[in-house]
Amino acid sequence: MMASSYSAKEEDGHHSGPAGLGGAAIRNRKPDNTAFKQQRLPAWQPILTAGTVLPAFFIIGLIFIPIGVGLYVTSSNIRELEIDYTGTDLSSPCFTCSQSFSWNSSTPCRCVLFFSLDQPFESNVFMYYGLSNFYQNHRRYVKSRDDSQLNGDERSLKEPSKECEPYRTNENKPIAPCGAIANSMFNDTLDLFYIDPNGTKTQIPFIKKGIAWWTDKHVKFRNPGGSNLNLTAVFKDTAKPVNWHKAVYELDTDSENNGFINEDFIVWMRTAALPTFRKLYRIIQKKNNMTPTLPRGNYSLEVTYNYPVRSFEGRKRVIFSTISWMGGKNPFLGIAYMTVGSICFFLGVVLLFIHHKYGNRNNGSDIPS
Amino acid sequence: CFSSSAAAHIGVGISGQEGIQAVLASDYSFSQFRFLQRLLLVHGRWSYLRMCRFLCYFFYKNFAFTMVHFWFGFFCGFSAQTVYDQYFITLYNIVYTSLPVLAMGLFDQDVPEQRSLEYPKLYEPGQLNLLFNKREFFICIAQGIYTSVVLFFIPYGVLSHATQSNGVPLADYQTFAVTTATALVIVVSVQIALDTGYWTAINHFFIWGSLGTYFTILFAMHSSILFNIFPKQFHFLGSAHNTLGQPVVWLTIALATVICIAPVLAFRFLKLDLKPQLSDTVRYTQLVLQKKQKPCGRVGRGVGGG
Repeated sequence: MMASSYSAKEEDGHHSGPAGLGGAAIRNRKPDNTAFKQQRLPAWQPILTAGTVLPAFFIIGLIFIPIGVGLYVTSSNIRELEIDYTGTDLSSPCFTCSQSFSWNSSTPCRCVLFFSLDQPFESNVFMYYGLSNFYQNHRRYVKSRDDSQLNGDERSLKEPSKECEPYRTNENKPIAPCGAIANSMFNDTLDLFYIDPNGTKTQIPFIKKGIAWWTDKHVKFRNPGGSNLNLTAVFKDTAKPVNWHKAVYELDTDSENNGFINEDFIVWMRTAALPTFRKLYRIIQKKNNMTPTLPRGNYSLEVTYNYPVRSFEGRKRVIFSTISWMGGKNPFLGIAYMTVGSICFFLGVVLLFIHHKYGNRNNGSDIPS
Repeated sequence: CFSSSAAAHIGVGISGQEGIQAVLASDYSFSQFRFLQRLLLVHGRWSYLRMCRFLCYFFYKNFAFTMVHFWFGFFCGFSAQTVYDQYFITLYNIVYTSLPVLAMGLFDQDVPEQRSLEYPKLYEPGQLNLLFNKREFFICIAQGIYTSVVLFFIPYGVLSHATQSNGVPLADYQTFAVTTATALVIVVSVQIALDTGYWTAINHFFIWGSLGTYFTILFAMHSSILFNIFPKQFHFLGSAHNTLGQPVVWLTIALATVICIAPVLAFRFLKLDLKPQLSDTVRYTQLVLQKKQKPCGRVGRGVGGG
């Protein structure tokens, strides 16, 4: 853009350096007369008028309240049963197991809890274990893992990351999997039995695959050694985590659920955000559309009590739950939506009243000078 | 003579035939005395307005972002565990929220320039320090803290018991991080949309662009491509897809947004309705005038000049 195309505007009395010398030598300091530089860009200028704000509040109220009702009703129809089996009370079946614990015991402690269902559980039933007062979200705990090692990297298998300290090596051998998260893996076993009215016990079959995220199971966690199925050989010269009873290649006989890709291990490694959490343990699949998955009646839960929680005053529980499109039982969302919707609607009414009575119905002609 | 411009808050010099010494010592200079009117009433006033809005929003968005960690501290043993992904923390102030507020700070206008010159009394808020003083500062901070409370406790209340539709619980750290981060970016974007009074094409581009950039970068960083290159850095693999595919998460985000924005909306509407400032009245009449002129303007464009 040539400056000389604007130099002719002398009506502003603009002097640009040495006067009188015309032509291309004069540098014109006048800013360009474009919409951008003169701040005249076309723009939308919104205003908060009663015609926009009040309908907005009413619409939000009218949308949120039915959503809240729907969520609350859906949540109420979900069946959930929670059983705390920490065993801190003398009367609890697991009391002896919770008191007498040592890491070196080879005979596991067992306890049995009896419960009954008044309502049958239809469709798939999901079984969770829950822990309380367990801070999986502590900063030092969260970073105590080696994602390269868990992805099957050979070098990280032999030399785990420094973040795993002090669970990095044991007796001069690298720990696989290293870190505090892996070391504290939940290792209670829970078995469910249905007790017939005439006393016969039938075990309810569990499904232990499909409990972890797909990306975790197939991308994030890979066994080292590629397609070598002999995991004992792959993991030789590594040590098992200090608090584990079995090594990582002994977690399951199924080769697709063994080693790092064991789904219970993957579920545990996905750290929880809050100190009270639950993790998916097993799935009880529905048999057919005729019989409920868990019929009404008496049940017994046999616990192999391996996991000590007394030292940090934690609690353990098992949860059985059915699922809907919005997940498990979660009344908070439904109640929150209904509350917020009602408040918005009420606020809209209040604002309408205030606007009517005291509002400034400015028609545009009375500007105080 | 020119030492007065050095001693004042703003020194204005006029470059003329007697030399440019005053110009060298001043903050602003121009060639004619009459330009002083525009400097003060139009540009000075707009500059004050833009700076005040910019500052208030900047404190608000950073308090909303940071105080979430304070509330999370009560639930993580005060171990300084961050709620968000490390890369989100890095990019929040640089990429996701910087351009919209910059555009507001550059282009915002409450009344057009002709009205600014017509009503010199509009200059008064600047003289009386009305738009950003201790009280306004504390209101901005309080709004930021309130937003942080909502942004932490609503996901906390929902996700602590939520599960996906395939039974897998949603209470894991990465889902919580993605939910809170997404809610935060959306809430502060809605807030800047409320704060911006003059939406040029650039403002539109920056605001929607920043939101789009957030989601693009989120999905890119949680993809398997980056994970396979740097497993330890990009360990949030799959979180974005998993989390943002759940209806419960979007319901949570919508709820948090409404709870954060509705009080602001109500309060600003009441202020405009019950105690409008001169700039509000002038702005309103200006826009009513523009709306009335629009159908006539199309017909009369060929006839007289502006």
